[in-house]
Amino acid sequence: MKITYNWLKDYIDFDETPQELADKLTAAGFEVEELYPLVKSFSGVVTGFVEKVEKHPNADKLSVCKVSDGTESFQVICGAANVAEGQTVPFAQTGAVLPGGFKIKKAKIRGVESFGMICSKEELGLEAKSEGIWALETAEKPGLDFYQLLNSNADYVYDFFITPNRPDCLSMIGIAREVAAFTGNSIKYPKQSLCEDSTQNISDFISIHIHDEEGCPRYAARVIKNVTLSESPEWMQRRLSAVGIRPINNIVDITNYVLMETGHPLHAFDLSEIRGSEIHVRSSEPNEKFTTLDNKERQLPENTVLICDSERAVAIGGIMGGLNSEVSAKTKDILLESAYFAPVRIARSGKKMGLSSEASQRFERGADRNAVPDALNRAAYLMEKFAGGVVVSGIADVYPQTIEPYKVVFQPDKINRLLGTDYSRDFITDKLQRLQLDVSENTVTVPTFRVDIKKGVDLAEEVGRTVNYTHLPVKEFTDIHYDMPVSSVEKKLRYFTRNMLELNLREAFTASMIKKSEAELFQNGGHITILNPISDDMTTMRPSLLPGLLKAVNYNINRNMNDVRLFESGRIFTHYRPGQLPDQPYSLAMVLTGKRWQEGWNAKADMVDFYDIKGYLESFLAKIALDNFQFILYDKSSYLCDKEALSLEVKNQQIGVCGKIAADICTRFGIDQPVYAFELNLDLISDVIHFERHYKPVSRYPYSERDMAFILDDSIAADSVLSFIRKNAGKLLHDLQVFDVFRGGNLPEGKKSAAFRLRFQAPDRTLGDKEVDKIFRRLIQMVEKQFDASLRN
Amino acid sequence: MLQKIDAIKKHFEAEINNINEPSGLEELRIKFLGRKGMISNTFSMLSEVPAEIKPLFGQRLNQLKKTVEHKIKEAASKFEQKSRTESRLDLTLPGRSPGYGGRHPLLAVADEIKDIFSSLGFSIEDGPEIETDFYNFEALNIPKSHPARDMQDTLYITEDIVLRTHTSPVQIRVMEKQKPPIRMIAPGRVYRRDTPDASHSPFFHQVEGLVVGEDVSFADLKGIINAFAHRMFGSDIQVRFRPSFFPFTEPSAEYDFSCVFCHGKGCNVCKGTGWMEISGAGMVHPNVFEAAGIDSEKYTGYAFGMGIDRIAMLKYNINDIRLFFENDLRFLNQF
Repeated sequence: MKITYNWLKDYIDFDETPQELADKLTAAGFEVEELYPLVKSFSGVVTGFVEKVEKHPNADKLSVCKVSDGTESFQVICGAANVAEGQTVPFAQTGAVLPGGFKIKKAKIRGVESFGMICSKEELGLEAKSEGIWALETAEKPGLDFYQLLNSNADYVYDFFITPNRPDCLSMIGIAREVAAFTGNSIKYPKQSLCEDSTQNISDFISIHIHDEEGCPRYAARVIKNVTLSESPEWMQRRLSAVGIRPINNIVDITNYVLMETGHPLHAFDLSEIRGSEIHVRSSEPNEKFTTLDNKERQLPENTVLICDSERAVAIGGIMGGLNSEVSAKTKDILLESAYFAPVRIARSGKKMGLSSEASQRFERGADRNAVPDALNRAAYLMEKFAGGVVVSGIADVYPQTIEPYKVVFQPDKINRLLGTDYSRDFITDKLQRLQLDVSENTVTVPTFRVDIKKGVDLAEEVGRTVNYTHLPVKEFTDIHYDMPVSSVEKKLRYFTRNMLELNLREAFTASMIKKSEAELFQNGGHITILNPISDDMTTMRPSLLPGLLKAVNYNINRNMNDVRLFESGRIFTHYRPGQLPDQPYSLAMVLTGKRWQEGWNAKADMVDFYDIKGYLESFLAKIALDNFQFILYDKSSYLCDKEALSLEVKNQQIGVCGKIAADICTRFGIDQPVYAFELNLDLISDVIHFERHYKPVSRYPYSERDMAFILDDSIAADSVLSFIRKNAGKLLHDLQVFDVFRGGNLPEGKKSAAFRLRFQAPDRTLGDKEVDKIFRRLIQMVEKQFDASLRN
Repeated sequence: MLQKIDAIKKHFEAEINNINEPSGLEELRIKFLGRKGMISNTFSMLSEVPAEIKPLFGQRLNQLKKTVEHKIKEAASKFEQKSRTESRLDLTLPGRSPGYGGRHPLLAVADEIKDIFSSLGFSIEDGPEIETDFYNFEALNIPKSHPARDMQDTLYITEDIVLRTHTSPVQIRVMEKQKPPIRMIAPGRVYRRDTPDASHSPFFHQVEGLVVGEDVSFADLKGIINAFAHRMFGSDIQVRFRPSFFPFTEPSAEYDFSCVFCHGKGCNVCKGTGWMEISGAGMVHPNVFEAAGIDSEKYTGYAFGMGIDRIAMLKYNINDIRLFFENDLRFLNQF
């Protein structure tokens, strides 16, 4: 909301400079988002006296002038027709800088030299379009700085951010009241001394009937006859323009002016368009339509407050007037409305229609129902004065249920307790009274314009902000409680993330909202979608972290960074649950593509393959000590290659997947190189691992190593041999690795060679060769038998 | 007999001066100090030395041994020095990189914030990102028609389920299950219906703080925010509180930190004001206590919020929030 410094002075006296005023109002809770001089700055312009004007020898429309700055005369070429000897003019000398940064230089115009420029108001940024130069009405001494001359009465514009709890401050008087709180000066209320025409009475022109008292608790009107529509006075236009309201005509401008002054919205109807001399306030019916004065036909939401005459609707109450009853050039008589509409009703209708106006913004936050007559009288007074209107005697005012001011229990000790202060009762009383709150023994009576004060805590805020938050005491933080637990979720997330980071991985961070088509690739149906998405790119909550990570892969490859390894942990959103919040487990995913390591002058690198991603996953699982898991061949994934995918399972429950992203999925994400990935459900993993664990003692005795290599059927999975050996080797087997696998060479078709390295170790002694050999030979026989394998030499 | 020792000494001195490489030095060492070297051999002759000069002989021989050891060591270290400077490797070639990873900068800053509050004795709590209207709005004193709902444009899943617009609902969830005293923060991702640009993202991160107890006051709130500001950005940071409005706090405040770049003098980042807006705070509104089942007569409390993204942007002088979720490796690898 904008106000100007000088305009505010109409309502309150204060000595603060423009910046001081901004600082104090900001400290009081009215954040000044912008403060700027109404007149844009310029320099090097002085008052000049036009001594002589002659025709330019080479141009009909130009004059050669002699302009004095009081000490010297300058030759200046001027193109304006209204330049004349004896004028005092704004004279931009060479070196002057005009608004917008335009610099004045010595110039030669049609062969004649010119030292400066005589300015129009337009050139000084004072009006949008000027005819001719600005000849001052009163002669001034030449050589005065013109900017200073104008700025002796300089005005400044403030743009406030008014919080929604303070609709009363969407007005000059509202801000003036806040200034009063720190100056102690009293408000100068605007004049409303009407001369009513007692020969005519309002009841002869209009009768008001409220059928929707809940939506419209008060409706009042006046009639102003014989107005002359014209432009409003220049000062009014200038003030309205300064605060961002476009001047239209005197009647509309006056309603806007009073709106800005008092914060109370008014509406002017053309009385001749009000049929039957009646106003009916009712709520709309289903499927009713209405054309607002912006010439848009609108579908009215049910229960919209409608202002009607005896036949039809003429305005949407508190939001916007109708085209059918708008003030126009032929308007003679005005029906001026001042009403109070219920905030909830205005908010609901406005939101549903997507329609917001200066009026609706104030009504939906809460106007002052007791300000209705004042605003009406003020506007009528101005119409009498500036539109030549005759104000008909009386106000038609329907106000069935008078609202009494709100009363709050006055408990200074509670205010002190909340603020951490020890102010006296008198001190607090004074602060509240400066804000026009009426303090008695036990009660504070809240003026009806303060819709935000309902409880004792609200009074505490009033005291706090009038004291200034900066001056409120600070209690040093010393009282540390060490018994506050870190939530298990936080602990787990950090644990998992740390373990990934310790694998030398780079953490990514991707969007939670993705395209529906992307979500479909990773989860078949059941997606959680947004009712009012920002764009088509963000309609669906991610059912997996992988779409986001694949986008990151694509982003980097497009910028020639082809080796990408990233992981992310975060919530994914998988299923709706009737009557509950949707499933939103924490997930951990990793993507891997490109070279295995950074290539260098002495380090050649291959492309990563399936075993790299599996290796990362295995390392991670080893670090978090997940036992009892199984990798199961997995060909049911919608986004992994059937032949290169594993399901990670614990007790037959899937807790993650790992594999190669299917080529068509990569293509969908604009990637044309193989990408490997895994994704784990951290909630499920958390249930099966032990966050607290004890170390396993390390044997101090040496281990014995034995290798065995078999020729066996190609179809036998390595894992089955490993499990078999592990199962049958006994307690002394400490470690088991596959160290070589190959096919071809002189091996028969359909066979492969697989070599295993076994390490035996005892916790309490050095193992003898005999003992180890015995176990080793037994294992060889068992493997040969079990897998129809033969030992290689 | 003693002349023999002198002869060995002379012999050694002559040889060591002629040695130009480490291998020769080793040979020399074996020749004189080895198990069957000249000095050992001479020691074994001790039995043949007349008794009257035996002590002197032994002493001189020991002295010689020490001298020889010392000189060989000295010569060896010279060779070592020489070999260091004469290495044939081109050490200016780059090394083999093991590659490196790291925490996302945003989450690193989140960790830092969490650690500060942890160290001040706050618990760290978590809550769902898809939240009910009740927890996100109603319980926080924001009824359906409340104009404050315009302040934060909400993304809806159903009419009653929303993407949480702040981490404040976690307050309610904690107060429902835990009796005061409460000291908690709730970090996490939040959502607004904002089109992405340099300073807006439809998802970002907040930390919500809540302290409830008997006689917790606005002065305590000012104290904790001061403590945080000093730990996060340094002890010269000034904190400013301004009145504001949030439905769930009363009194409500916005708090600003003095600009971390210009130290309050005024610069481009703070638009010449010397202050950087951080976030909102205030005393918990009695209606919020009542919604969460806490006696608002007995207890008071404060709540505060802060934007992790904003703090991370300030900390690293990042001017475009989108950098955080583009995952450009050239950006990420700087952390």
